[in-house]
Amino acid sequence: MNEKTRFMLELITPAALVLLLFQVVPILTGANASFRDWTLHDPKRTWVGLANYVHVLRDAEFRDVVLPNTFGFMVASVACSLLLGLLIALMLNKRFPGRWLVQSFILLPLMVAPVIAAIMIRWMFNDQFGVVNAVLEGLGFAPVSWLTQRWTAFGVILLTDVWLWTPWFALILLAGLQSLPSEPFEAARIDAASAWRTFRYITLPMLRPVMVVCIVIRAIDAFRTFDIVWTISGGGPARATEVFSIYAYVESFQFLNLARGSAAAVIGAIIIVIFALLLYRILNRFVEVSK
Amino acid sequence: MRDVAVVQARSVGFFAALAPRGKAVFFALAAVAICLLFAFPVFWLILTSLRPGTGVYYVHRGTEFTVDNFHEVLSQDIVLRALLNSFMISTLATVLSLGVTATSGYMLSRFKGPIPNAWFSLMYIFRCVPYVAWVLPLYFVTQQLSIFDTYWGLLLPHIAVHICFFSWIMKGFFDGIDPSMEYAAMIDGCSRWGAFWRVALPSAIPGLTALAILCWLYTWNEFLFALILTAHETPILTVVMAQFVHELGMEWHLMSATAVIALVPALIVTLFGQRYVIRGLRI
Repeated sequence: MNEKTRFMLELITPAALVLLLFQVVPILTGANASFRDWTLHDPKRTWVGLANYVHVLRDAEFRDVVLPNTFGFMVASVACSLLLGLLIALMLNKRFPGRWLVQSFILLPLMVAPVIAAIMIRWMFNDQFGVVNAVLEGLGFAPVSWLTQRWTAFGVILLTDVWLWTPWFALILLAGLQSLPSEPFEAARIDAASAWRTFRYITLPMLRPVMVVCIVIRAIDAFRTFDIVWTISGGGPARATEVFSIYAYVESFQFLNLARGSAAAVIGAIIIVIFALLLYRILNRFVEVSK
Repeated sequence: MRDVAVVQARSVGFFAALAPRGKAVFFALAAVAICLLFAFPVFWLILTSLRPGTGVYYVHRGTEFTVDNFHEVLSQDIVLRALLNSFMISTLATVLSLGVTATSGYMLSRFKGPIPNAWFSLMYIFRCVPYVAWVLPLYFVTQQLSIFDTYWGLLLPHIAVHICFFSWIMKGFFDGIDPSMEYAAMIDGCSRWGAFWRVALPSAIPGLTALAILCWLYTWNEFLFALILTAHETPILTVVMAQFVHELGMEWHLMSATAVIALVPALIVTLFGQRYVIRGLRI
């Protein structure tokens, strides 16, 4: 081993140790559990092979509700917060009086704990005491019981997620906008290009690498969302808004079958890793992440 | 100045003729709408925290305000301990995570070949693994190591969470720094560690500051790991807050008061760090 290799290994040793002990070992423990019978009436933890995986994949709840919910949530959440974040970033990139105020307001969701935001939004959408229904009634509409129907509950969860993550998109895209070179914009102005065409043919292509990185990071995070769904709906009504993290948690702790929950978690992990590797190839085409 | 000129040059179209300054009005309205959208839940939280316990169900109608909720919350021993614990954990997790990932990101940025490639792929894959797949077994692992419900039992998993993402971001910071200074230092007799420590690291400080702020906020607000990996010995603020609305009945006013108290340090950190965060977030 030459001196350079040793230096490389020294640099990553602390990170690798923590990663091994607190991520690799737990993942392997969970994967091991997923091949066994972990119900309360089997203290021997018999090896059952792929039975838990087969059960999860055959479960109509998992196939018809959990997977569509998870992917639907991912796509909708990323699309909404990207669009809104881009609009806000474009706005903040202009100079106008009160800009710092708007920027400070945008930072608010980054300061609030997601679980508190979720509790607060659940409280605001409460069907009896919530402010949203009070406003609806004030305007002459019938109050809506938001959290007892599948699609309205899903909408509230989505709204919370967009509220939490739009600022993140906005700040990163703003930083990206501010680091763009000014010459192409000057050339466009000399050619009297319209604002839309300048945006469409100059801003958007130059911003694309930043946008792609944002989308990849957020898509992966949205896929594994747990806390806000758990706080707002708990997966209900009648398991209709469960995403796959909630499914794994419910199987493990409410139905007390840790093995089946682990199998669901492993299936989710495999799906997202494959998905992420596909995204990675797209990413690599736009930005050289692994030069 | 340049942007102002653009706006004037554009404002001779049909729309502008129809409604003079219409664009500015529309812009102002959009700005106000955005502020309202992002501020409202926080505003509502503060309002709820100022209402007496009997009035929270009519937050929008009541006119009584009180600061008793804050007195009540701050007189509870568990809240004070949770405040201290959360502060310590967030600060230590920030320092340690940055320390561990700065070297890892530097390695990814400065070297090429099979080892950095393998390390990068590993980071990318482990970043994707969903939390449920490891937080539940992590409970058993920390118990095996008998660090469950201690500082270390929460700190080390938090560092593990940050390693993958931060290494990636750190790589970006070091990519933006010209390595020729480090070569010069090494020619002058600096060791590789010396070049990293004395030349590369100081140049990365703006990026490190941004990441430190984000890391601190993230750990301060984190819930799932704190919920599963701590119990009575090490109460954590987010868990204590959430429990006001779960186990001890629906005490919205106390939950809100605690949440507002938790907001203050986050507010200070964000307002002071805003400049660095926006500058450091260039990926």
